[in-house]
Amino acid sequence: MSVIAGVEPEDLNALDDESFRLVVRRWIEANYPPELRNPPKRLHWEENNPWYFKLAEKGWLCPGWPREYGGLGLGPIKQIIFTEELERWGCARSNDHGIIMLGPLLIRYGSEEQKKHYLPKILSGEHVWCQGYSEPNSGSDLASLRTSAVLDGDEYVVNGQKIWTTLASDANWIFLLVRTDPTAKKQEGISFLLVDMNTPGITVRPIINLEMHDEFCEVFFDNVRVPKANLVGQLNKGWDMAKALLSFERIYLGSPRQSAYALTRLKQLAEKMGVFDDPSFAGTYAKLRTDFEDLKSLYGRYVEVLKRGQSLGADVSQLKIVQSELFQRITETMMAISAENAGLMEPMEGNRNLNPAGLYIQARPTTIYGGTSEIQRNIIAKNVLGLPG
Amino acid sequence: MSSAAGIAPYNEDQAESARMIRESAAGHASDIARIRALRFTTHGFAADAYREMAELGWIGLAVPEAAGGSGLGMIELVTLAEELGRGLVPEPIIPATLSALLLAEAGETELLGQLLAGEAVVLTAWQDRAGTLTPSLDAGATRRFIPMAAGATHFLVPTTAGLGVLPAAEADLVTEPTNDGGNLGTLRPGAYRSVGQANPGPALDKAALATAAYLLGGMEAAFAMTLAYLNTRQQFGKIIGTFQALQHKAVDVKVQIALTRASVEAAAAGIDNGATGDAASALVSRAKARASEASMTVGQMCVQLSGGIGYTDDYDVGLYLRKAMTLAPLFGGAALHRARFMKLSPETEDA
Ligand SMILES: Cc1cc2nc3c(=O)[nH]c(=O)nc-3n(C[C@H](O)[C@H](O)[C@H](O)COP(=O)(O)OP(=O)(O)OC[C@H]3O[C@@H](n4cnc5c(N)ncnc54)[C@H](O)[C@@H]3O)c2cc1C
Repeated sequence: MSVIAGVEPEDLNALDDESFRLVVRRWIEANYPPELRNPPKRLHWEENNPWYFKLAEKGWLCPGWPREYGGLGLGPIKQIIFTEELERWGCARSNDHGIIMLGPLLIRYGSEEQKKHYLPKILSGEHVWCQGYSEPNSGSDLASLRTSAVLDGDEYVVNGQKIWTTLASDANWIFLLVRTDPTAKKQEGISFLLVDMNTPGITVRPIINLEMHDEFCEVFFDNVRVPKANLVGQLNKGWDMAKALLSFERIYLGSPRQSAYALTRLKQLAEKMGVFDDPSFAGTYAKLRTDFEDLKSLYGRYVEVLKRGQSLGADVSQLKIVQSELFQRITETMMAISAENAGLMEPMEGNRNLNPAGLYIQARPTTIYGGTSEIQRNIIAKNVLGLPG
Repeated sequence: MSSAAGIAPYNEDQAESARMIRESAAGHASDIARIRALRFTTHGFAADAYREMAELGWIGLAVPEAAGGSGLGMIELVTLAEELGRGLVPEPIIPATLSALLLAEAGETELLGQLLAGEAVVLTAWQDRAGTLTPSLDAGATRRFIPMAAGATHFLVPTTAGLGVLPAAEADLVTEPTNDGGNLGTLRPGAYRSVGQANPGPALDKAALATAAYLLGGMEAAFAMTLAYLNTRQQFGKIIGTFQALQHKAVDVKVQIALTRASVEAAAAGIDNGATGDAASALVSRAKARASEASMTVGQMCVQLSGGIGYTDDYDVGLYLRKAMTLAPLFGGAALHRARFMKLSPETEDA
């Protein structure tokens, strides 16, 4: 398989970090579709799947999954390097809910049959997943969700509505949090269900976001019949699993990925605008660079915890806060140095590396999705600092 | 009124004319469906709406009476601009005001008459690069970042040989779409017809100050929507406005708006009371720096306080953020104006 790099997966972990970086870099540069570099907006599945299939074929789709399930089982530092190289080259983010969220959850909580059935289909790209948690009246207060699943024979009948479901219009499967016991305390009546999006009764309606892009959607469920076997874990124990999954999400959203990408673009933009000689910019840039290196160190510690097979504590929220707010500050600096160019809707001079307004807007919701910054701070105050309330 | 926010730094007469302008403008500038429909259209604004606004005297508000304007002060101009910003009005009233001031100073009458009547859309092409407050006077220089250039009928180009006019039909113009649904133009040099002499500096300062006021109006509107949302949206069985983390953020927004208003109105009153030259420019720089930076912060905070809905195109708060992204750097962004302020306003001994 590894003809180009000439390195088998088992050898990747054995490489020293710099050789590993070069192997990854060479392979990306040789294989990444050039027309997909630095996409100004998040790509839809039909646009980005050539890259997904390339990674899948190479066996590099899931660097963090254990080897036995088709992942690369990379160590923490190498996972960071892998990410940095993708960002350096401006690789598109794929439809990765299966890779970063559902996969790890199934590996931990799924039955053997579920693992055997679903994981290979993520690896092959046959199943493209989306995440159906939020509802119109249940965002920060997710546990108040009302979409219901009622057992009828061998099937659950699902009714309700999800919203802000990223790339639901591209997905053929959705993982849902549903209410299965309306009488229990709100966290104790929730279950985790896997649903084929082609089941009758599902309607997907895209929502245009602030980027003017149809990235997230509303998803409606009208008497949707789902086989009982699609329940993951125990009935009414979905909240605990989802909480564990949220820590996978937070470590992903807290990874230096977005900041790495933005920092590289800031550098290119600063060169273009000729501001590197400006002492006030130099000071700002130095701060962003050192903040970024500190974020990487912090991230490395969390990856190390996972690597040892331990679970992450509530304090992983701080990683998400640091990353999202740094990403925002980097893009705010991009806007400031771009002067009037910041007003332009499209990348400057048609060069996708110089896209201050686009990146600035993309950075805005990072402090909202995956749990808002306010909620992350509440979690730390209560569960880590032990403050009352 | 006992709150400091209610104490304006200007006299009763001006307060009265400002009040009338505010009422008239508010009535004509609050149709969000119209604003949405015009975004990303060829011109980005409506010629008939522009003409109506001109007929209301908006383009000539600060133009001397002798030149056919209303001869009102900066207080009135910033009041109008604030209402335009509150309503996200895309018609280029501020750029047209800049052109009207320059034509009046040059003693030109014909094109000025058409401009004040709303028959001509005259836009001033003063800058040859990004991030400058100094107008180019080089007739051979390409002019950049002309707001709403796609709908211009004429361009006004300051040169060493005088104020040049170029009909849009003869212009070599390229436009690019902006975040707010308008456009910015790049104009290659052409055969300009000189219509007299004018010093662009003071008029550019007035345009910068009016833009600051436009941003102020936008901040207030976005914040009003956000406050209403904080007062209705429920999570965890409570109105989200009861969460102290959000209350403090809302207060921070309010403080930024108060500072912007204080700074903008101080600059307008200062100029109306006779400040000129460096003194006027320093006042303007302080106000535009504040407005440019605060509008971005406030826009971002309003999105954040709204949660997911704040990141949709359907929700108006985002329109204000996209407007701020476009206007904050026009006529100089925060860093540029702060640097100019420090140059023009040396620190006093006891400061
Ligand atoms: C781009 C984007 C993509 C998304 N993708 C998905 C997806 O794929 N799947 C999915 O299920 N969801 C998705 N979401 C939804 C996201 O998780 C929610 O938007 C988020 O949890 C906030 O919920 P809300 O929008 O209802 O805002 P609200 O919860 O109504 O929050 C409004 C404001 O109140 C604040 N607030 C709420 N409660 C408190 C409190 N107790 N203390 C202090 N402040 C508080 C919030 O921080 C926020 O500022 C996405 C959202 C965005 C913006």
